[in-house]
Amino acid sequence: MLKKIWKFLSSMTFAIILLALLCAACAGASFLPQGETFEWYAAAYSETAAAWIIALQLNDAFHSWWFIAIAAFLCANLLLCNVLRLKGLVQRTKSAADPARAIRLEPDAAAAGIAQPRSVFRRLGMPNPSEHTVEDRTVLLSGKNRVGLWGAWVCHVGILLLILGFGLGQFTKAEYFVYGVPGQTKPIDETGLMLTIDDFRIGLREDDTVEQYTAEIRVQNAATGEEQRAAISVNHPGRLFGMSFYQNATGWAARISVEKDGVPLQSEVVCAGEVLPIADQPALVIYFSAFYPDYVYVPGEGPRTASGLLNHPAYLYAVYYNGELIGMNVLEADETIRIDGYTVQFSDPQSYTLLQIKRDSFTWLALIGGLVTLIGLLLAFYVLPQTVWAVLEEDGTWTVSGVSAKRRTMLREELQRAADEAKAGQ
Amino acid sequence: MLQLEKILFIAVLALYFAAMILYFIYIASKKETVAKIAIVLQIAGLALHTVAIVCRGIGAGRLPLTNQYEFATAFAWGLCLVSMIFLLRFRFPVLGAFSAPIVFLIIGYAALQNKQVNELMPALQSNWLGFHVSTAIIAYGSFGVAFVLSILFLLRDRAQEGSFWDRHVPDKEKLDLISYRSVTLGLLFLTFCIITGAIWAERAWGSYWSWDQKEVWSLVTWLVYAAYLHLRIRRGWRGKAAAIFAVIGFACVIFTYIGVNTFLPSVHSYR
Repeated sequence: MLKKIWKFLSSMTFAIILLALLCAACAGASFLPQGETFEWYAAAYSETAAAWIIALQLNDAFHSWWFIAIAAFLCANLLLCNVLRLKGLVQRTKSAADPARAIRLEPDAAAAGIAQPRSVFRRLGMPNPSEHTVEDRTVLLSGKNRVGLWGAWVCHVGILLLILGFGLGQFTKAEYFVYGVPGQTKPIDETGLMLTIDDFRIGLREDDTVEQYTAEIRVQNAATGEEQRAAISVNHPGRLFGMSFYQNATGWAARISVEKDGVPLQSEVVCAGEVLPIADQPALVIYFSAFYPDYVYVPGEGPRTASGLLNHPAYLYAVYYNGELIGMNVLEADETIRIDGYTVQFSDPQSYTLLQIKRDSFTWLALIGGLVTLIGLLLAFYVLPQTVWAVLEEDGTWTVSGVSAKRRTMLREELQRAADEAKAGQ
Repeated sequence: MLQLEKILFIAVLALYFAAMILYFIYIASKKETVAKIAIVLQIAGLALHTVAIVCRGIGAGRLPLTNQYEFATAFAWGLCLVSMIFLLRFRFPVLGAFSAPIVFLIIGYAALQNKQVNELMPALQSNWLGFHVSTAIIAYGSFGVAFVLSILFLLRDRAQEGSFWDRHVPDKEKLDLISYRSVTLGLLFLTFCIITGAIWAERAWGSYWSWDQKEVWSLVTWLVYAAYLHLRIRRGWRGKAAAIFAVIGFACVIFTYIGVNTFLPSVHSYR
C-alpha cells in the first residue's frame, strides 16, 4: 500500500493533476476579488456564499492552506521524481561514453555496409570518434550533447528552488512603510533603525506629467550610530542595512498651526489622512482629510482639483471632540478655523513620500531557481543528445547505429543522409 | 517620424489585409501563384511593419512597447515574423492562410487603440522593459503559430485522401512536431518573460511576485503548456489531443493579453 502511494506521489500522472489543480485555483481566484471582508462578499453575492468564501479561505486564495498544500505536493512530486530518475540518468549518461554499454542499446537509427565510417561521424558533427575493442570487435564511438539528457531534471530542480525561495521569503520577510516630508526622522518599527528624509523631489516634465520621484534618505542604527545614505527613486531602490528601500507613493502634507487666544500653541506638519490632537486639549482633534492643490467646487460632485499644480490650494478638514464630529469644511489659503479660543490654520502644502522598506533574505534563491529553470528548459528543448557507434562487421564493412533521446526521426534522417553521402563518396 | 509611422501603419494594415484576402483566394482557387503573391505581400507588410515600429521608437525616443497600441502592434509583428519563419522553413503557404487573419485581427485591435505617444511613467523607465516585453512578443507569437498549426492539424485530421488539405498541408505527424517545437519556443520565452518581469517588479514595485492578475494568468498559461508537454510524454497525447490542448493554451494567452487588461484589475494595465 505504502509502495503504491509512494509510486503515485512520484508519478507524472500526479504531476499533471497538480498542474491542473494549480491552473484551476489561479484562474478561479483571479475572478474572485481577493482580500475583502465577509460583509463585502455578503453584499456582493449572498451571506451563504460569503460564509463559504471565508471558510475555504477563497478570499486569500494564494495564501490559503489548500493552495499551500497543492504547492507542497508539487514540490514533493518534483523531488521524488528527480530522486527516482537520478540513477537512470547517470546510467544513460555513462552508457553514452561506454562502448560496451552503447552497442547493447536498442538503436533508433542504423545504416549498414559503410566502408568509411569516420566520414559518417564527420557528417553527423562528431569528427573524432574514439576507437575501442569490445568482445573482439572494433567499435567506433562518439556522443554529443549528453548534457541535454538532464534538461527536465535541471528544470525540476530550478522549479523546486524557485518555490523554496518564494516560500521561505514569504515566511521570513519583513515589510515596513514610513512616510514623511523632508527634515523628518522616523523610526522603522522594531528594527532599531531611524530613517531621515533629507529631500524629496517630484520631477515634472513640460507637460506637467511626472518624470520621476526621488527621495534622499539617511538611515541610522540607533544602537551603534552607524549611518548609511541613498538616493532612491522608482526603479532604483536603495539597499541599506540589508534592507531594500523603495519609493512607493506620494501624497500631500501641510503645516497645521494652532493658536490659543492669539498665542501660538503648536505647529506641525501633518499628512493628508492624519489627525492632529490639540496639544492642551487632546479630546479636540483636527483631521486633515484631503488636499486639493488646484481647488474647484463642482456642483453635484463636491470639491475637486483641476490639476496637480499648486494654483489654488484648499484643505478638507474635520473636527472631532471626544470622537464626535463637530464640524467639517474646505479651508482655502489664509482662511482659519475658530473653535472656542483656538484658531487653526493650514499652510505650506508640500509633497510627502511614502517609502516601502523590505527585507526578503531569499530573493536570491528564487532568482537562482528561475535561472536554473530557464537553463533546464534550454537543455531540454535545444540540446539534443546523440550517441553514435560503428561496429566492424565480419565482411569488413561497418554498421553505424545511433540513439537520440529526443527527435529520433531527425537522427534517422540525418544518419541515412550521412550514410548515403559516405557511400556515394566511397 | 511619428507622422511617417502613421502612414506606414496604414500601409501595413492594407498589405496584411491584401495578403489575407489572397490567401483565401488561394484556398478557394488552389493556385500556387496566388499563394506566392500573398507571401510576398505579407513579407512586404512585415518589412514595413518593422520600419513603422522603428519609426515610432525614434519618434517617441524610447522602446515602443509600453501601451496597448504599441504592444498590440508588436504582438502582430511577432506573430507574423514567427509564422513567416515557420512558413518558409517548412514550405507550406496554408500556414499563412491561417496566421494572416489572426495577425490582421491583432493589428486591427491595435488600430482601435489610442495611438498617442505618452511619456513614460516612472515605473516603466527601466532597461528591463525591452527584455520583458520583447520576450513576451516572441512567446505569444510562437504560441500563436502553435495554435494555427493545431487548427490545421484538426482540419487535416478530417481531410479526405487526395483533397486540397491532403496535398497542400504537411502530414499530421509533421504538423504535430512543428506545433510542438513552436510550443517549446514559446514556453522558453514565456519563462524568460516571467523571470525578467519578476526582476523588474522587484525593483519597481518592491516585490518580485505579488499575485497581480497579469502575473497569475501568465502563470496559468505557463502551467497549461507545462501540462501539455507532460501529457505528450506520459499519456502519449500527441496529435489530436495535443492540438486541442494547444488551442486551449492560446486562449489563455489571449486572455492574459486582452482579457486581463479588459476585465480584471491589474497594475499591468497601461493604456
